[in-house]
Amino acid sequence: MSHLGDLLSALVDGELSGAELDRANAHLAACGHCRGEAVALRRLKYELRALAVEISDASQFTERLLAMAGTAEPAGPDGRAPARRAGRERGGRRMIRARAASRRGGADPYTAPPSPRPVRRRRVRYMLWSTLSLVVVGVGGAAFGMGGGGSPPGPKITPQLEVFDLQHAITSGDIPFPDPAIVSSRVPVGAATP
Amino acid sequence: MHRHGLLLTAVATVTVPGLLAVLAVRGHENVAAGTVGVAAAAAGAAALTGPFPVAPASARASVRNNFAAVQRESGARVTVLSRTTADEQAQGMHMLSEAADAGLAMSYQGVAMISQSGVDGSVRMVSKVWHRGGGLTLIQTSSAPSRPAAKAAGVSTEMDASSTGGVFGITKTLVTLLGKHYVAVYSGHGSVARRPAAVVVLYRFDGSLAARYWLDRQTMVPLRRELFDTSDRVIDEDSFVNVRFGATAVGALAGARGLSGKSAALQESGWAPADRPSAFLAWLAGKGWRVPGGLSGGLPLYAAASASTANGEVVDLQYSDGLYVVSLFVQRGVLTKDMAGWRQRSLGGQQAWVSGRSVTWAGRGFVYTMVADAPAQTVRQVVGDLPQDASPGFLGRLGRGLARIAGLIVPFA
Repeated sequence: MSHLGDLLSALVDGELSGAELDRANAHLAACGHCRGEAVALRRLKYELRALAVEISDASQFTERLLAMAGTAEPAGPDGRAPARRAGRERGGRRMIRARAASRRGGADPYTAPPSPRPVRRRRVRYMLWSTLSLVVVGVGGAAFGMGGGGSPPGPKITPQLEVFDLQHAITSGDIPFPDPAIVSSRVPVGAATP
Repeated sequence: MHRHGLLLTAVATVTVPGLLAVLAVRGHENVAAGTVGVAAAAAGAAALTGPFPVAPASARASVRNNFAAVQRESGARVTVLSRTTADEQAQGMHMLSEAADAGLAMSYQGVAMISQSGVDGSVRMVSKVWHRGGGLTLIQTSSAPSRPAAKAAGVSTEMDASSTGGVFGITKTLVTLLGKHYVAVYSGHGSVARRPAAVVVLYRFDGSLAARYWLDRQTMVPLRRELFDTSDRVIDEDSFVNVRFGATAVGALAGARGLSGKSAALQESGWAPADRPSAFLAWLAGKGWRVPGGLSGGLPLYAAASASTANGEVVDLQYSDGLYVVSLFVQRGVLTKDMAGWRQRSLGGQQAWVSGRSVTWAGRGFVYTMVADAPAQTVRQVVGDLPQDASPGFLGRLGRGLARIAGLIVPFA
């Protein structure tokens, strides 16, 4: 007695009809070997289908995560978002915004496709801020460094006390007040301030 | 519950503005009562006084306002204003003006005791003075000996009396300034060095005592001076202990010119006065000099001069209200490290060097040296107001650095 062979797979897949289907069923009723194989094939098919559903759910889950993160890049071949992007975004805040948008009647962020964010604009802004910060820190540091030090250069001055005191005495009509221990002084006649 | 809240809100809305209105009315009544009180006091003060001397037209508005305020307050603070008539004030100013002329024109010779209090403590000196009328003045100064037998070191100074010089701070220029800032009153007779004298008292516009002068009855030459600060403390007391006038004084001057000279020649050849001090100040400011137009204590700029030295130009700016005189010498540079003869002191929150009545410090590329016949409080204020080489702080250092960077980028800006 020959067995169903390839017809068994077609039977399990529901591809037989008419006389072929009747003949296959009649054989299954008489052949225990083919019946066992048919049961095994159905179980395998069932398990494969269940697995396919699981894989589909995982893909959706990844897409939901990407949508929450706001990235437009598709998940990688392994179903995960690129690490550099995932670490940079602030998912919590965006999720709150997405939920608020959903309440306002917007698309469901869990099922809607990822929104096309202006990646280039953010990148330019990031570059601008970085450059500005570098300039401020650099110029500020240089200015602070150059602002140190003592007085501006100039001649070393020893105040000529006796000269100044005499000039003060002449203009104020007062008695000169020199320090006797230092020096005595004489003003040339006619050299004073009129 | 909601109804109670509404009720409370309504009560508050009605009550709070009502209370505020009541308070406002009460406050207005108190102010009105105060105004009446002042008016009554003014009426009382007016009953005590004769004709008021008025603040000079040149006096600042604040001084004139103070003047009026003092007049409104009956009591001790109107001493000057209530007892001094305009005639008395004119007489006092006339006597001081005569004293300024006499100090230059008369020949005299004498010995004066000088006593000054400043930021560096009190100093006493003995000065022998020979003056030929319209000519030279020779002053030999020595520190007052602490013991009678002690010998004092001496310094001789020869001055050209055809300059602005005077006796005990009475010069023509300063007397003019006195009339703008003080009330001068002839207050009677006195005696100095066994010579009869007329006493002229200077009051501030608030009625406080500012100075007293004793003028020789015969010649009007000042014989004695007392200066007071605003706390009625004597800060300067100068007086002849003996003096003689006329031909004998001229003969003594001829002999005195042979005084031994361990004196050193001055490095400056002379001072060039500025015709218009304010314009000179503006010119200096345009060149980057940091110089003030007036000093704390109400001391306006009244004269300026400049001289050349080996270290560059020195500018002498003179500030005075007629009574207190401050000479501020400014030159570019930094202070030398060797400050022999000076003592470091903290003045006006800044570090400065002090010697007698002189103070010096460095600030932002300039060296300031101040010679002051003024209260210590005024000196401290002046030092505090002028530039200093203090620590700039974070922002100051940042600003200075930015300025230097800008200077590097635009070197000729």
